[in-house]
Amino acid sequence: MRIPITGIGVIAPGAIGIEAFRALLASGQSAVADVDRFDTTGLSAHQAALVLDFKPKEFIPVMKMRRMNALSRLGVAAAKLAIADCGGSLLPETGVAIGTAFGPVQTSVEYMQEYVEKGAALAPPQLFAESVANAPGSHIAIEWGLRGFNVTITQRESSALAAAMYAATQLAKGTVRAALIGGVEEANEMLFSVLDRIGALAHNGTPGMILGEGGAVLVAGAGTRKPYGWLAGFGIARDTTAPISDWGHDEKSVVTAMQAALDDAEVTEVDAIFVSANGAPRGDEVEARAIQARFGDAVPLVPTKQVFGEYAAGGALQIAAALVALDEGRYRNVLVNSISAGGGIVCAVLSREAA
Amino acid sequence: MRIPDLNTRIAVTGAGIVCSIGRSKAEVWRAIVESRAGIAKLTRFEGETFPTDIAAEADVELPRGKRLSRTDLLAVLAAKEALEQAGDIPLDRAVVSTGTSTGGLLEGEDYYFQRLIRGRRRAPASRVLQQPTSGPSDAVAQAFKLGGGVISNATACASAGAAIGMAADYLRSRHADVAIAGGSDALCRLTYSGFNVLQAVDPEPCSPFGANRKGITLGEGAAYLVLERWDDAVARGATILAELSGYGASCDAHHPTAPAEDGRGAEAAMRGALSEGGLTPAAVDYVNAHGTGTALNDAAETRAIIAALGTDVPASSSKSYFGHTLGASGAIEAVVTVLALQNQLAPPTLRLREPAPECPLDYIPDTPRPMALANVLSNTFGFGGSNVSLLFRRA
Repeated sequence: MRIPITGIGVIAPGAIGIEAFRALLASGQSAVADVDRFDTTGLSAHQAALVLDFKPKEFIPVMKMRRMNALSRLGVAAAKLAIADCGGSLLPETGVAIGTAFGPVQTSVEYMQEYVEKGAALAPPQLFAESVANAPGSHIAIEWGLRGFNVTITQRESSALAAAMYAATQLAKGTVRAALIGGVEEANEMLFSVLDRIGALAHNGTPGMILGEGGAVLVAGAGTRKPYGWLAGFGIARDTTAPISDWGHDEKSVVTAMQAALDDAEVTEVDAIFVSANGAPRGDEVEARAIQARFGDAVPLVPTKQVFGEYAAGGALQIAAALVALDEGRYRNVLVNSISAGGGIVCAVLSREAA
Repeated sequence: MRIPDLNTRIAVTGAGIVCSIGRSKAEVWRAIVESRAGIAKLTRFEGETFPTDIAAEADVELPRGKRLSRTDLLAVLAAKEALEQAGDIPLDRAVVSTGTSTGGLLEGEDYYFQRLIRGRRRAPASRVLQQPTSGPSDAVAQAFKLGGGVISNATACASAGAAIGMAADYLRSRHADVAIAGGSDALCRLTYSGFNVLQAVDPEPCSPFGANRKGITLGEGAAYLVLERWDDAVARGATILAELSGYGASCDAHHPTAPAEDGRGAEAAMRGALSEGGLTPAAVDYVNAHGTGTALNDAAETRAIIAALGTDVPASSSKSYFGHTLGASGAIEAVVTVLALQNQLAPPTLRLREPAPECPLDYIPDTPRPMALANVLSNTFGFGGSNVSLLFRRA
């Protein structure tokens, strides 16, 4: 069984809406730029892939918007674009699965600032309500009356792909008629400075990742648009050599997950691999060795994170990029890899064909 | 994509638990049998002042772990008990699926405070690195060298229920051969303060379904189940504790924090679990209710139980023992539900002196009740109206 994706909504670094996103990918340009949203003085890294021209008011009524944190705004706006893009409406029997690597860090920070300033009894309840990672998924369900499953997955770099795996499984099972699959992430000062502090961010020629952000939602199992592509198979594994917050070195575990996705999709080869590689040396190396071991040099590799950064829309922009490539007829079957710090691995095969 | 095979039965072959009433299944069950709650003065946050001052703290010596949060360590402790009971499982095909609402927020808060005092350049980052909600799954997988994948579910208080259901699906679709599925959450200042500002904390130990209930008691803890395909468990000679025969998941689509008053989402989750388990409502012998002690939840959940199952089924809230353990609650109460099936004894609702008029069911007041339990539901609901109901069957 394969799951059709008929709508894509993106609030991406450098692109709002699927056509702008398509153009960004085609241009070969990057949305990475110097950070001016917050002060990076004294830090090593100064660049990120930020969403700069998003105006939530264009998507969400002001009264509702005031009750949403930045992640919820990204999620609801991306869902609105995705539903419009799919050319249909959603039944109440629709599930929601959202991925986010770090979730509402900024909301927690703001809450604790109020806690310190005003006291534990007088911090704003509104901030507390938005301090849960599943707030974006909840707002999406409320906005469109979606009463199917509603889950939020937080598995670092693999968050959105793991959310897609769960939603696809529910559609295959038949517990819902349709699903919204997506991810949200916010690049804030706290996250940026901590990643910088541990040397995870690229700077001054030192390899590392670029922090991304954004929101992306895919419509699965509903709508009238010709599908961008189908979710065809998934594989999961874990690199047992990985420390708690870094990548390991066991490429066999990555091969296991990639092969499991191929087997689940009932394909033996793919035409391209949308790689997990994000500039972090250990993660990039273990993936490169795994691809070499399973596919040799034969399959083109498509890196995307130099365009919109790591964690972009909780990882969902990588999936959206693969779907755009399928939609444009460039490939028949592609593999999408996500290898997380901590050792988690989720791989998916996306296909241009329904069977 | 392989479709999860609903004819594949899921066996529970291990269970581990830590919460305010015990550090193991044996301790927890003894407290339940003795109707002994674990709710006392809050001691965790010295120097902080909150409008209420009681909690269900887990009094436990945690294993040492570099870069691991309290939530991570509680998870490792509970998973250890579950894995030891399960015995010889294929570690390389074992997936870890954990629900947590706050992850290492307790340690993140320490960092926030340090930053406010010392500035971002001088505050040590080691604490905040323990904050991600992926921590408990990663920590358990690392501690026991599990290679089948890690999934973290952060769906507020429904997290662990969703994590357990998800794990069952991945066994049924053969993405993994074993699942260590559960949840973990440590008390932290943000949630303790947050539920207080929502005026959702009872100043006295919570009294779910009671006329004078004023809210939750915040708790902490962790629990895990080891799940396997039934035939695999039988083939390796494992002792099967219970069967996870289905689950249902739904969303109220109503409000960011309040449940739908008509209980429609909770009802849909219970109906979903029955449908997956191929059961009629009359076959359910007992409901381990979400039963938080808030005015809204207990009334809405009661309506949902009546709508889905009728008025004859007894339901109780184990939260009257160990409080609301947030993202861990679905797992902690799943373990209690499995113990209830094994012992043929339904846990009671403590302190239910006067049931509320809007709560007309049999909530098993005060003392455990010996019952013939074949099929039981365990409910877990969360912020955002996310609902999960797990259906267990006696092995």
